Amino acid sequence: MSITWIPGSRRRGGFETRPHMGRIALGAAVLAIIVYLIFPVIVVLAISFSAGNFLTFPPPGLSLRWYLAIARDPEWVSALKVSLQVGSLSAIIACLLGVPAAFALVRYVIPAKALLSALILCALVTPPIVTAISTYLFFVPLGLNNTVLGLACAHAVSGTPFVVINTAASLRSADRNLERAAIIHGAHPVWAVLHITLPIIAPGIVIGAILAFVHSAHELLVASFVLGGLGKPVAVKIWSGVQATSDPTIAAASAILIGLAILTFASAAATQSLARRRNA
Amino acid sequence: MPLLLLLPCLIWISFFFLAPLAAMCWRSIASEGSSLEPYAVLFTSPLYTKVMLTTVKTASIATIGALVLAYPLAYVLTTASRRLRALILVCVLVPYWVDIIVRSFSWLILLGDNGLINRMLMRLGVIAAPLALLYTAASVLVAMIQILLPLATIVLFGAMLRIDRTLLAAAKIHGASEWQAFRTIFLPLSLPGVYGAGLLVFVLALGFYVTPALLGSPRETMIAQTIMVEASQLLDWSQASAAGAVLLLITTVIAALYNRYFSLDRLWGGTDK
Repeated sequence: MSITWIPGSRRRGGFETRPHMGRIALGAAVLAIIVYLIFPVIVVLAISFSAGNFLTFPPPGLSLRWYLAIARDPEWVSALKVSLQVGSLSAIIACLLGVPAAFALVRYVIPAKALLSALILCALVTPPIVTAISTYLFFVPLGLNNTVLGLACAHAVSGTPFVVINTAASLRSADRNLERAAIIHGAHPVWAVLHITLPIIAPGIVIGAILAFVHSAHELLVASFVLGGLGKPVAVKIWSGVQATSDPTIAAASAILIGLAILTFASAAATQSLARRRNA
Repeated sequence: MPLLLLLPCLIWISFFFLAPLAAMCWRSIASEGSSLEPYAVLFTSPLYTKVMLTTVKTASIATIGALVLAYPLAYVLTTASRRLRALILVCVLVPYWVDIIVRSFSWLILLGDNGLINRMLMRLGVIAAPLALLYTAASVLVAMIQILLPLATIVLFGAMLRIDRTLLAAAKIHGASEWQAFRTIFLPLSLPGVYGAGLLVFVLALGFYVTPALLGSPRETMIAQTIMVEASQLLDWSQASAAGAVLLLITTVIAALYNRYFSLDRLWGGTDK
C-alpha cells in the first residue's frame, strides 16, 4: 500500500484551468497568513536594534545601544540570572520526574493509563491565572513564596509534560532489541537501560528539557505571584516594562527571548537530525 | 515497577498542582464560616456576568479565527514538498516559541496611532487622521488569533497527516476535480481534527491574560484579568478563589471532553508528531 501521490505533479489538460487558479489563491492566502504570523516577530527584532529613542517601526537607524543598556542595568542582569536559575532548575526536576514516567507509560501495561497521562498533561491546559493564585495561596504557609526554589517547583509541573512527550516519542521509535541483547549477554536490566537505552533516547530528553526551560522563562502569572517582588524573573520584568515605559529596552529584552526561541528551535532540529543520522 | 517509575511524577503533581487547586476551591467556600457568598456574587453581579460573556465571546471568535487561518496552512503543509514543509514549519513554530508578552507587545507597536499600519494608510491617503485601532475588541482579537494560530496549525496538521491520501487519488482517478475531491473526501475526514483543535484552542483562549490587558480597553476585560484584580489589588482571596474555581471547572470539563474524544497525549508537543 504505498501509492504516493504528489499533488503538483499531475499533468493537467489545457482546458482544466480552474484547479490551477485555486492553487494560486491557496498559495497567496497561505503566504498572507505566514506574513501575519512572522511579521510581529520581525518588528520586535528590528526595533531592538533601533538607534532611536522610541518604539517606531521601521527604526530610524541601527545600533546595539539597547542591548548595552540591558547589559549595564543591574536589574535586567539579575532578572536574566533569576530566569536562568528557575528555568534550569525546573527543567532538571522535570527530567527527573518525566523520564521515568515516560518509561512507565511506554513500556508497561498500566490500568487507567489514559487518565494518568491526561493528569500529567493537564497542567498545560489549566488557565495560568488559576494555577498562579492557587500556588501562591498554597505557598504562603510553606514559606516558598519569594524563593527561586518555590517557583522552580511550580514550573516543574508544567515543564514535565514536555519531557514526557518527547521522551516517550524517542522511546517508541528506539530499537528495544539493543537493550534485550545486552540483557541476554548478562547485563543487569537497569544497567542496560542506563547504558544502552538512555543514550539512544537522549535527544528526546534534551528537546523536552529545552522546551521546559523556555516554557519556564516565558511564564508570567505564576512567576509574578510567587516571585514578583525583588529578584523577579525576566518575564515579570518585561511585563512591568511593557506597561510602563516606551523605549526600546523592552524590545531588546524581548529580542533576547526571541533569540532563545530560535535557539531552541535550531537545537531541537539539530538534535533530531543528529539522532536520525545516528540511527541511519 | 511501573508504579515506582510513575510515583515521583504523580506525587509531585499531586503536591504542587492538585493540592493547591483543591486548597483554592476549599478556600472559596470556607473562608468566612463556610458561606457561598463569593459564588452568589459571581452569578448575580452584573460585573461578573459581563466579564464572563466577554470572555466566552472573545475566546469563541479567536478560536474560529485561528481555525479558519490554520486550516489552509495545515492543508498546504500536508501536500507540500519536503523542503517547503520544513520552511513553513519553521515559520509556524518560531512564533509559537516567542513569548506571548512579546507578541502582544509587537501588536501594540504596529497598531498604535503612530504605528506602521496607521502611517501606511495615511500615506496612501485612505484616511486623514489615525484610526483608533488599539484598545478595541479588534486589536485584542488580531493579537490573540496570531498567538493561537501556531498551536491550531500544529494540531490540525497532525490530524490531517492521518488522513489516507490514496482516497483522494482514487476520487480523481474516477473523475473528480481537485475541488470535488477536497470537498467530498478531505474536508469531511478532517472535521474531527478541526473540532479537536477548536476545543484545545478555546480552552487556552479562555485563560488569556496578557493580550486583553495590554491591547484591550476595560470593555474587553476577560475573566483572568478580573481574578488578577481581585487577588492582587483588592486582596479578596475568597472571591478570586471562587472565580478561579469556576474557570477551572469550565476548562476541566472542556479538557475532559477533548480527552474523551481526541486523547490529550496524542497531539501535544511542538516537535513530536
